[in-house]
Amino acid sequence: MAHVGRAVGLPVAFAIFCVIAWEALCRFGHVSSELLPAPSAVWNVLAGNPGILMEQAVPTTIEVAVSFAVACAVGVLLAIGITFSAAIREAIYPNIVMFQVIPKIALAPLFIVWLGVGGKSIVTVGVFIAFFPMVVSTATGLVGAKPDVLQLCRSLTASEWQCFVLVRFPYAMPHIFAGMKVGVTMAMIGVIVGEFITAQAGLGYIIMFASSAGETATVLAAIVVLCGIGLVLYGLVALGELAVRRWYGGELPTSGVI
Amino acid sequence: MTVETAQSRALDLVPFGAAQFPSLRQLRPVLLPVATAGTVLLLWQAVCLVFRIPHVILPAPTEIAGELWRILPTLLKEAIPTTLDSVASFCLASGLGVGLAIVLTYSPLLRDTLYPNLVAFQLVPKVALAPLFVVWLGITSESRIAFSTFASFFPVVISAAVGFEGADASTLRLCRSLTATDWQSFRLVRFPFALPAIFSGMKIAMTMSVIGVIIGEFISAKAGLGFYILYASSRMETAAIFAALFVLCMIGAALYGAVALAERHVRRHYGRR
Repeated sequence: MAHVGRAVGLPVAFAIFCVIAWEALCRFGHVSSELLPAPSAVWNVLAGNPGILMEQAVPTTIEVAVSFAVACAVGVLLAIGITFSAAIREAIYPNIVMFQVIPKIALAPLFIVWLGVGGKSIVTVGVFIAFFPMVVSTATGLVGAKPDVLQLCRSLTASEWQCFVLVRFPYAMPHIFAGMKVGVTMAMIGVIVGEFITAQAGLGYIIMFASSAGETATVLAAIVVLCGIGLVLYGLVALGELAVRRWYGGELPTSGVI
Repeated sequence: MTVETAQSRALDLVPFGAAQFPSLRQLRPVLLPVATAGTVLLLWQAVCLVFRIPHVILPAPTEIAGELWRILPTLLKEAIPTTLDSVASFCLASGLGVGLAIVLTYSPLLRDTLYPNLVAFQLVPKVALAPLFVVWLGITSESRIAFSTFASFFPVVISAAVGFEGADASTLRLCRSLTATDWQSFRLVRFPFALPAIFSGMKIAMTMSVIGVIIGEFISAKAGLGFYILYASSRMETAAIFAALFVLCMIGAALYGAVALAERHVRRHYGRR
């Protein structure tokens, strides 16, 4: 019990201490509020006009959710293709791994040229960035199913489909969720960068606009909301993993944090 | 599977030059992806020519190659700040990350206090802080390096801390019972054990630091490839965007390759295990 208290209490105490130190620094250190507003000032923005921030949070959240969902669906489908066709695997997989390495975020302006300013190009940036970790992770999981188990299934005349549903897919679950955890943070990054460079709405736009106007408290308030959205989405994925693991009888290993 | 290996063995055993030239089957893992990439390029070229797609929307690969050749001096000039900033922030992130991971390994108090906060930071979209770094440090190169270091620091700490923690407990006990000092058991056991984890963190950090620098250049710079890409896109010079992207990808792949090579070198130094 004391161990649990320490594991939760210490980090929370440290976070609170940092916020208090920050507040004290701003109050007594005469730091200009444009450079670093005190936490209380950020709170005033958050509590003062929550309507504006929440309104801007809606498009951002929807864009992140859509791009994450599309990236998951396309990623898992392509990974299934990679698992079942040696030709697809050998032809495409090295190219996908290559794409993992290059800075894909640089393609964001290209999507604006193609799809114009607005939600469509922002979602595309998010999908494009979240998609690659999904494919690589899922494919690793599907290919890595235990050969003994697969051989046993085949000798018991299980169909390919049965092998897939009953062995490969459950076995790949931790990898799929590991990919989804990376994917959800990546989709978030893609959407924010998209909003930095194109949007007329959304939290990324608010951050850019407020920072150019010197309203740093608003920037920080928007970042707080973004962090909240990020943690909630990540938490949903983690909850999904928990539910799926329970469904499969809790015999699956965990995917770990990122 | 076994039949296939048997066949490939049989192919290898064929006389007349089989020993000198790798068989087609052995080259397949290299040939197929290259052929796929080549086919995509050809299709792209064909689609552009046949459907007369406007240059602004999608220039043909040959046009991009021409543009690349034409603006190569400019691109190389713009590539210098981007590369330097990326390397600087990667080095800072790796140094600080491994350093903090060592501190976390040897101080349970600090580990319990900081580690959960580090993991939480790993989950939040740190990219959103980019404009703040502009407010704090201006539109200088230092501001981009600071932001990029901040973005790529967390994966290194977490991987390295996990690696140090995962060193074989019985080996550590053996060291202690042979009266090895903390420093010796760190240098000879923990560090070699943690190397794969450290390098996997560093590989993520390398890509993240390039991404960080590009984002920084998107929002603040007057030079660099990120700036050039945004500038070209505002002028609808799509071929120039692609040319700049090509150079950027080469830089990204080269930097990643350098880390992968370093990993191979270091691991060889510590033996196969």
